Amino acid sequence: MNVELTELTRKFGRTRAVAGVTLEAGPGVFGLLGPNGAGKTSLLRMMATVLPPTSGTLRLLGRDPGSYGPRREIRRRLGYLPQSLGYYPGFTVAEFVEYFALLKDMPPGRVPRAVAAAIEHVGLGDRARAKLRTLSGGMLRRVGIAQAIVNEPELLLLDEPTAGLDPEQRVAFRALLREFGKRATVIVSTHLVEDVAAACTEVTLMDAGRLVFHGTPGELIAQGEGHGVGDAPLERGYSAVLAAARS
Amino acid sequence: MTVTSLTARPAPAPAPRVAPRNLARLLWVELRHNAMPLVLPLIAVLFWFDSYRIAATLPPLWVVRLYYILGQGHALIDFAPFVAGVAAWMGSRDGRRGMGDLVTATVRPRWEAQLATWAATAIWAVGAYLVVMAVTLALLGRSVAWGGPPWWPVAADAVGIAAFASLGFTLGACFPSRFIAPMAAFGGLFAMAISSQTGFSASGGWALILPTMSNGNFGQDAGIFYQWLPDLPIDRVIFAAGVAVAAAGLLGLRPAAGGLRLRHCAAVVTVTGAAASVAAVVLAFTAQLGPYGVVIPALHDAASDRPVRYTPACGHAGIPVCLQPAYRPYLPDVTAALRPLIGEVAGLPGAPVRASQVAAVFAGGPGVQIGPASVGQILTLSGSPPALYMPLGAMALPNSFGADTAGFIDQIKVEAVHTLVTSGGAYGNPAQQAVEAALLQKAGIPPADQPSAMSTTPWPLMGGGPRSAAKYPPAIAAAARRFAALPTATRHAWLAAHLAALRAGHLTLAQLP
Repeated sequence: MNVELTELTRKFGRTRAVAGVTLEAGPGVFGLLGPNGAGKTSLLRMMATVLPPTSGTLRLLGRDPGSYGPRREIRRRLGYLPQSLGYYPGFTVAEFVEYFALLKDMPPGRVPRAVAAAIEHVGLGDRARAKLRTLSGGMLRRVGIAQAIVNEPELLLLDEPTAGLDPEQRVAFRALLREFGKRATVIVSTHLVEDVAAACTEVTLMDAGRLVFHGTPGELIAQGEGHGVGDAPLERGYSAVLAAARS
Repeated sequence: MTVTSLTARPAPAPAPRVAPRNLARLLWVELRHNAMPLVLPLIAVLFWFDSYRIAATLPPLWVVRLYYILGQGHALIDFAPFVAGVAAWMGSRDGRRGMGDLVTATVRPRWEAQLATWAATAIWAVGAYLVVMAVTLALLGRSVAWGGPPWWPVAADAVGIAAFASLGFTLGACFPSRFIAPMAAFGGLFAMAISSQTGFSASGGWALILPTMSNGNFGQDAGIFYQWLPDLPIDRVIFAAGVAVAAAGLLGLRPAAGGLRLRHCAAVVTVTGAAASVAAVVLAFTAQLGPYGVVIPALHDAASDRPVRYTPACGHAGIPVCLQPAYRPYLPDVTAALRPLIGEVAGLPGAPVRASQVAAVFAGGPGVQIGPASVGQILTLSGSPPALYMPLGAMALPNSFGADTAGFIDQIKVEAVHTLVTSGGAYGNPAQQAVEAALLQKAGIPPADQPSAMSTTPWPLMGGGPRSAAKYPPAIAAAARRFAALPTATRHAWLAAHLAALRAGHLTLAQLP
């Protein structure tokens, strides 16, 4: 398993952002759905090794991120796009992606080609020399995705990756996710159920820090048949599961 | 809830370490995107206005010009606040930009990445300082007749700038906000202001470590008659380097900085830096003022005490007049000052047969405080046959802080006549004052101007002297007029017969012709 979580809990003061989550995941694309405050971002941050769990066990890529050496090896194979992407306005697209390739300790000889490939993957090849301050929000998001995939990660964590992308880019991005999902574990936190329907092989629904559903998109759709609220089948499944969890 | 999916893969082998090349590239990226170059034009303008513009008008001696820029710390005052501010801006970059999670989730420890940014900031700041100093020294050196600049004070300032960069960066990294840069800049300015104030008033001890502490720091004839003493600048290098290293080490102590081993390493770095700074302060307490400047026994190299070899530059003023070649531009002024006086006393028993420049030194020694009160020598007459010894470095040279050539020439005349007539430091008795006034009048200083000409003499104030009264007492003035009115041959003959008794203070006003 690339991801093994056992009773993983994270508290912020008295608030339990993540409450005893147990999850295993190998290669594939996993959609992480849930309302605001469900704990998706905290869960992703723990898997990104930037937030230590309060309790429970976490193993990523067969290693324990609690120890420094294994944590370094996990990070070497990790791609992470946080919910709010910070950036350096004076960097060009290529420099920003290269900067993270260097921080990820990629072999120097591989860096230029990997940077160019990552930028092409997100459709910014013609803007590689543009300063980040000149890019739109959607383009910045794509730069964030490029830095996440530059090291060809085995574990790719994406928090709201399609926010700000136009429909055409979202279609291209879903194709990218599917491609990565063939060889890596991709966990995508999103509000957009159509992304899940189009790209994810499995979907996990969180509410109040807990996992309340896990299955295929088809199984989630089945949950909403007849009594869910929403315009799309997946939305009806989503609302039905949440209603059941809260009742 | 448990989910199982697809097949597990064996953990890949650790990747080979590729740190050095990546670090170099990372440093290059940071150098290209550092904010420091944006403020360098401003620093350059400030440096030109505050440091170079004034130093360029000072006498063409390295020691005088660099005393202003380095000894009083003007260069550091110009650089430090901006460097601290920009370094804080760079240090706070990740926090301000919300990059914490992104950077933390990478392989490189956060401390390592931050050190790359810090190094780029420090390289820009120190590099800019060195370039500015190189240009400054080249420009200032064009009019300097002899010798070279001191390098240790330049190094001390360079390391001081690195220390400000380090402090500012660490402050920014620990308290990231848009306000941290102006706060750090103001802190830098405040620190330099305090350092300046303390540097002018303090007389030794820990205050010697301050970069603006100039007392005893630049010997008046350092690099001319004797070597620049590097003891204090070396101590300051140790202190500033310690501060820089300790501040950089502090960054690595934070939990997010890296693993336990790395944080232990950061702790060692911090403690080492702090220990170096404390050691430098302790060494400053052991400092003594030697004749050539501040001596720190533990850092002192005996080779620094060797005199500087030179071939004197000589002229003629009735007698040979020889100066250290660094003072060659002043040879015409010195001969012009001595010529009328030598004309009056030539051939007299006890009159000088030659004039030579000697080093201006600090009147130091155990128990003597390091401070301006210990500075100051006057012309002396000694030896057999007598020679006039001139510590020009202790005098107000033309263009040094308001002094002009006329004042410099008058000062030489006043001191030369004084040493000829009184043979001592204090004001003479009334007969000596009267003869002195008459000789000065014959040398070209009218009686009414003599109190003013004496205003810069270092001999102590005494009641009745023209310096304190602003004019001679009537009896002395009348005797001086009478003596000056004598025919030259008569005056010369009287001096030939009575100069020894006059110098010994055995004559009264009534015994003057």
